[in-house]
Amino acid sequence: MSGYWNDILVGSKSLVTGLMITAREFFKPVVTEQYPYDVPEMTPLFRGHVELIANEETGAPNCIVCMACQRACPSDCITLAGEKKEGEKKKSLTQYQLDFTKCSLCGSCVEACNFNALQFSKEYNLCSFNKDDFIIDLVKRLEDQN
Amino acid sequence: MTLPVHLRHDETFVLNLGPQHPATHGVLRVKLTMDGEYIVKAEPVLGYIHRMHEKLAEAGTYPQFMPNTARMDYLHALAFNHGYALAVEKAAGIEVPERAEYIRVITVELNRIASHLLWWAAFLLDLGGFTPLLYAFDDREQIIDLLERVTGSRLTYCYMRFGGVYNDIDDEFITGTRDFITRLRSRMPRMYHDLVTHNIILIKRIKDIGFISEEQCRRYGATGPVARGSGINYDVRKNEPYSVYQEFDFDVPVYSECDSMARYMVRMDEIEQSLRIIEQALDKLPDGPVMAKKVPKILKPGLGYHYSAVETARGSLGHMLVCNGDKNPYKLKLRSPTFSNLSLYGEVAEGMLLADALAFMGSLDLVIPEIDR
Amino acid sequence: MSVIESVKAAIEKVVPFSETVIPADPAGEGEEQQPDQVVHSAGAKEVDFAKTGCSLDVLCTAEQILDVAHALDGEQLFIESIAGVDWPKEDQIEVVYTFSHFQDSDVRVMVRLRVPRSEPKVPTISKVFSGADWHERETYDFYGVEFTDHPNLIRILLPEDADFYPLRKDYMP
Repeated sequence: MSGYWNDILVGSKSLVTGLMITAREFFKPVVTEQYPYDVPEMTPLFRGHVELIANEETGAPNCIVCMACQRACPSDCITLAGEKKEGEKKKSLTQYQLDFTKCSLCGSCVEACNFNALQFSKEYNLCSFNKDDFIIDLVKRLEDQN
Repeated sequence: MTLPVHLRHDETFVLNLGPQHPATHGVLRVKLTMDGEYIVKAEPVLGYIHRMHEKLAEAGTYPQFMPNTARMDYLHALAFNHGYALAVEKAAGIEVPERAEYIRVITVELNRIASHLLWWAAFLLDLGGFTPLLYAFDDREQIIDLLERVTGSRLTYCYMRFGGVYNDIDDEFITGTRDFITRLRSRMPRMYHDLVTHNIILIKRIKDIGFISEEQCRRYGATGPVARGSGINYDVRKNEPYSVYQEFDFDVPVYSECDSMARYMVRMDEIEQSLRIIEQALDKLPDGPVMAKKVPKILKPGLGYHYSAVETARGSLGHMLVCNGDKNPYKLKLRSPTFSNLSLYGEVAEGMLLADALAFMGSLDLVIPEIDR
Repeated sequence: MSVIESVKAAIEKVVPFSETVIPADPAGEGEEQQPDQVVHSAGAKEVDFAKTGCSLDVLCTAEQILDVAHALDGEQLFIESIAGVDWPKEDQIEVVYTFSHFQDSDVRVMVRLRVPRSEPKVPTISKVFSGADWHERETYDFYGVEFTDHPNLIRILLPEDADFYPLRKDYMP
C-alpha cells in the first residue's frame, strides 16, 4: 500500500517539475527563425547547385571542356559540349546543362575540376511546380549574371 | 482447457500497422494478428523504400557510391560515410592523416548526438508527448548548423573522402562545438532528465515493456543500444577499435534491465559519452593535412574479401567488400544494424498489448531506409 | 583458452584447417583454368584481422554449414550477416556468412560456401540462429539461393511478384 501512495506522491512531483520547466521555457526568447522575413545567411561552404566560374578578365567561363566533371558525377546529371574556335588554343564551352533533379550535391564534380571552373552556388530557395525548371543551363546563368 | 484471454486464438483479426503510420517512422508495415488488444503474431513487412544500393554500388566506381551511403541512414549519415570510407581504405591500403581521423570522429560523434536527440524526440512523440520534440530540435539545430559549416549540407552529408575529409574545420567550428558541449551539458539534467526521464507517465509506459533477453540478442544478432540495454557490453568502438577511438577515454553504458527503459537510458548516457569524446578530440586535435597525398584518382583495390565494422547510433554497421581489381566494387554487402534489430520484433511483440508494442517499436530506433537499403 | 582458440577447435571438428591457400579470388586468377576445373576444397584458415577484418576464413560445403553453425552457436557467437556473391565465370554462387562475438574483440568468422548457379540449394541455419531467417530471405531475394527447410522463404525487400534476381551479374534492369 505504501508503494501506491509513494507512486502518487513521486508521480505528481515529477509532473509538477515538468510543468514548471515548460512554464519557464514559455518566457524565454524565441529560438525559431521567422523565415520569409528573416532570411538566413548561408555559410561559406554551403552546397547549392554548382555554377560556372567566370574568368576575371574576359568574363567567359574558365571551363576547357575536359569532361572530368561529367565522368566523376555519380548520377549522370551533367551534360556539356564545347567547340574549338579558330585562333584559340583551348576549347571553349558552348553548353553546360545541369539536371538538378538527379543531383545529390556530393561535390565530386567540383573536386574533379582542375581548372577552377566550378563552384557551389549559395542558392537554396529552389522550388517549382515544373520539373523542367531544374534542368539548368549554366552557361546562360553565367551570362545573365555578368 | 481454458486459456488466458490473451492466448485464446480462436477469434483473431488482422490489423495492418502502416505502411503509412506515424509510429513506424517511415514506410514500414507490420501485419498484426490481433486477439482483441493483444498481439498474437506480428510480422514486419519490408521493402517499401527499397532502392537496391548494393547494385548501384556495383554499377559505379568506388567514389561514386559515397553520396549513396548518406541516403541509407539519414539520421547518422556520417557514420555510414565513415564506414564506407574505412572499408575502401582498408581494401586499397590508403593511409589517412591523423588530423582527418580526428575530424571524422568529431563530426561522427556530433552526428550521433543529433541522431539520438531525434530518436528521443520521435520516441516521445510516439508515446504522446509533443513538447520534448521542440526542445530536442532546438539542440539538434545547433548541431546541424555546426555540421553545415564544415560539410556544406544539413542532413545527407557526403563529407568523407578516401584518404581524408572534404575540407578542414575552422576556429569558428571549434569554438561553436565547445559552446554547444557546455550548452547541452547544462540542459541535460533539466530539459531531458527532469522533464522526461523522471516523468511518471514515461516510466509507467516503458518500464518492463519489450523484454529482450541477452540470448535473444545473440540469436538475432542485435547490436547497438538494443544489445547494450540487455546487458551486453558490445560496442564496436571498444571491441574492435577503428579510426582513432582507442585514443579516447569513454565508457560504454550498459543496462541489464532488458526493457525499453534500459534502451532509453543507454541512449541518454551515450549522448554524454559522445560529448566526452568530442571534448577530448578537440583538445588533442593535431595539426596537419586533412587529405592523404597520393590517393589515386581511380581506385583499384586488389583481390579479396574485406569486412569492416563501425558503430552507428543504431548498432554495428558492416561493409563487406569483395574486390576483384576492377575500378568498380565487385560486391558490396551492407550489414545494416536495424535490419537485425527489427528481426526480433515478431518474437518479442507476441502477447503484448498493441499500445505497448508501439512503445517497444519506438525503443528499437528504426530508420526504415537503412533497413530496406 | 581464449575465445578465438576455442572457436578454432570447434570449427576444426567440422572443417579441417589447411595451410594451403584457399582459392578465394577466382575472378582474374583462374583465367587459364576451365570453370569446371576450379576446385574449391573445404578448409579453414586463419587470416590477418587488421587486413581483412576477419580472423578466420572457413570454406565449407553446403552440407557442412549446419554443423558449422551449431559449432559457432556453441561458442556463443552471433550472426552478423549473410551475403551472396555471384561468380558467373565459374557458374557458381557463393554464400558468405559472418559471425562475430560480443565479448571478445577481434573474433570474426567468415564462412563461405559455393553452390552451382543452376541449382543453388543450401540448408537453412535459421533454426540455429533465428536472425538468419531474414538474412537468408534477403539472399534468396537477391540471388535466388534456395534455403531448404526455411520456414518462410518469400521475398523480403522486393515485391512479392518479382521474377528476377537483381544481384546476379547477368541481370540488367
